Amino acid sequence: MLDPRLLIVTGKGGVGKSTVAAALAVAAARTGRRTCLVEVEGRQTLHHLFETAPWDFAEREFRPGLWGLSIDPDASLAQYLEMFYGARRLSKLVVGSTAVEFATTAAPGIKDVLLIGKVKEIERRRDPDGRLRYDLIVVDAPPTGRIVRFLRAPEATTELVAVGPIRSQAQAVIDLLLDWDRTRIQLVTMLEEMPVAETVEAAAALHGLGVAVGPLLVNRVLPARFDEQSRKALIDDLLPGELAGILGEVGIEVGEDAAAELRDLGAGHLQRLDLQQRMRESLDDALALPTLELPYVYGAQFGPEVVSVIALVIEDALQGGSDEVDAT
Amino acid sequence: MSRASTVLAQARARDLAGVAAERHVIVCTGAGGVGKTTTAAALAVAAARQGRRTLVLTIDPAWRLAQSLGLPRIGGEPRAVEQVPGLDAMMLDMKRTFDDVIDRYAPDRRRAERIKSNRFYTQLSDSLAGTQEYMAMEKLYELHATSGYDCLVVDTPPTRSALDFLDAPKRLTDFLEGRFLSTFLSPGITAGRTLGRVAAFGSGLMLKAASRITGAGVLEDLAEFFQSFEGMYEGFKNRAQATYRLLRSHQSAFVVVASPETPALREARYFLQRLAQDGMPTAGLVVNRTTPALPPRLSGLRRTHADGAARLLEEGGPERLAAATLLRLAVDRADVRRREQYAIAAALHGVDPHTLVEVPLMATDICDVAGLEALSAYLLRTPEGTRE
Repeated sequence: MLDPRLLIVTGKGGVGKSTVAAALAVAAARTGRRTCLVEVEGRQTLHHLFETAPWDFAEREFRPGLWGLSIDPDASLAQYLEMFYGARRLSKLVVGSTAVEFATTAAPGIKDVLLIGKVKEIERRRDPDGRLRYDLIVVDAPPTGRIVRFLRAPEATTELVAVGPIRSQAQAVIDLLLDWDRTRIQLVTMLEEMPVAETVEAAAALHGLGVAVGPLLVNRVLPARFDEQSRKALIDDLLPGELAGILGEVGIEVGEDAAAELRDLGAGHLQRLDLQQRMRESLDDALALPTLELPYVYGAQFGPEVVSVIALVIEDALQGGSDEVDAT
Repeated sequence: MSRASTVLAQARARDLAGVAAERHVIVCTGAGGVGKTTTAAALAVAAARQGRRTLVLTIDPAWRLAQSLGLPRIGGEPRAVEQVPGLDAMMLDMKRTFDDVIDRYAPDRRRAERIKSNRFYTQLSDSLAGTQEYMAMEKLYELHATSGYDCLVVDTPPTRSALDFLDAPKRLTDFLEGRFLSTFLSPGITAGRTLGRVAAFGSGLMLKAASRITGAGVLEDLAEFFQSFEGMYEGFKNRAQATYRLLRSHQSAFVVVASPETPALREARYFLQRLAQDGMPTAGLVVNRTTPALPPRLSGLRRTHADGAARLLEEGGPERLAAATLLRLAVDRADVRRREQYAIAAALHGVDPHTLVEVPLMATDICDVAGLEALSAYLLRTPEGTRE
């Protein structure tokens, strides 16, 4: 799963796309890959997840083997102008000016081309000894609602712009995105109706683009907890009074009302598990993608703790042998 | 009790019943994936149940509202929701709204056709900063002015920053009447003449730089495109301002929606602050998918105590095993509840949402009218919704 050089992580809003992107990067770094985690569109989510200072356009190694940066289109434009024209003065003059705002927002997709162009530049970068700087680049990309437009931007640009540097930049970006050896799109989803529906839709659209889609990452999967017998006991005949009595035996005194709520809590959990199972089946039916399930992380804190747990699960899956993840 | 916790306690005591019963425009906003569309639909169901002619308008391209309402799909026209008398739903058709706007403000048919046949026209409708938000406002105002609905419920576009919605009228008009644009639109450029004159030197340099980025020809075409809008800006601007006034009045209400996780709550906080700053009528914060409180005897249970008890029980039969698992589930849920409550309190520190409704994660997904009714019971704190 971490074998390509570029992972573009997308998913419906709210499924934990950024957390999973962060966990993929952590898992890659822990397994010895020099990894660069990229945030686009200046969302400023990832540095909160790692509790670091805000990221900017300069890559920084914020953990051993793990670099982070946040790309915003204006900065990539400035760098682009500088690189191609040696035009430091010119770029100072035009970047942030209404002229450039006009050119880049009105000509569709140019900003996205520059964003992915920057990623391409990072991917190709070499150290003085000739070795590629990074083994893996993980991009926390726009959500599934906008991912197709984002990835199609270079192509749309070549359709509108016949010549010029933007045209060649766009072509180079297309070559990278369509290179199945180097680039893979990682869809993140959750086992609920709407994320599943949107994921199925997005997977079809991505296949249409001709990009490689990696194993499906299913986030926030609830653990089963109950075995078959205790599940049956809970559903069939565990009355609140009886439950309160059992708990009393081990020194936990709850009233019958609290026992009834505890029982409802269990019943609700079982219902969510049933829903999960239905969603798992409909994903399997709709998509022929290998799947890796990531756990819902209980615990007292959001942030680094959650990223760390998910990264461990990803590492375990990698050590499970082949690079193909089993369909679960 | 500190001032902050008083504000929270007061906000928790209020509900959104008055909003659904009285307000003319309800705007639901928040980060992506927090249940904005579903919340909007639930408020619309509530308004319709009060006998108000209600329309819920969604801008979301993912057809999610259609799913929420059990409709196969929603077109660019209001469509009756069968199970709820008085409720219509519609999906914003961006291209058609844009077409209507052009038709309305263009001085004549020929001009309108010229604009609509430009190669940039369609792409622009979804890529120009603020266009989507502007069109949502435009449609909202049109419905307000002409449709005769008592209540209009709208969810904001899935933009990264919900603020774009608030800024839309201003940003678009700023953009359209920008200084650059007027130099850009000077006839010299579109006629293809050289810009040798001293006065034009600055903008000529800009244009040259911009052309280097986009390639030759593109900017000239764009200039022509924007030039064809000339004379229409006044119409855009007036309409945008009228919409802003409508949203700012007490006929309107903003409902901010979040999930109980830090990134969504951070966005909600930012938005609440911004609404306050603009003097917009904030009605409340809805936090969906929260973990409800357990009875005190269970929520106060220490993990070590619960673990010890669970280990003893695990040696027994299925009932005891079930009880052990329930205990472990309860302490895990209490942890999650604590982190969520901490995140909510942190997000609302120094910010008054007016109303705070925490909607518990339901056992099943909301994808039909019954689910929306259940959600609206929480939003209105009607009897079945107040039970926790």
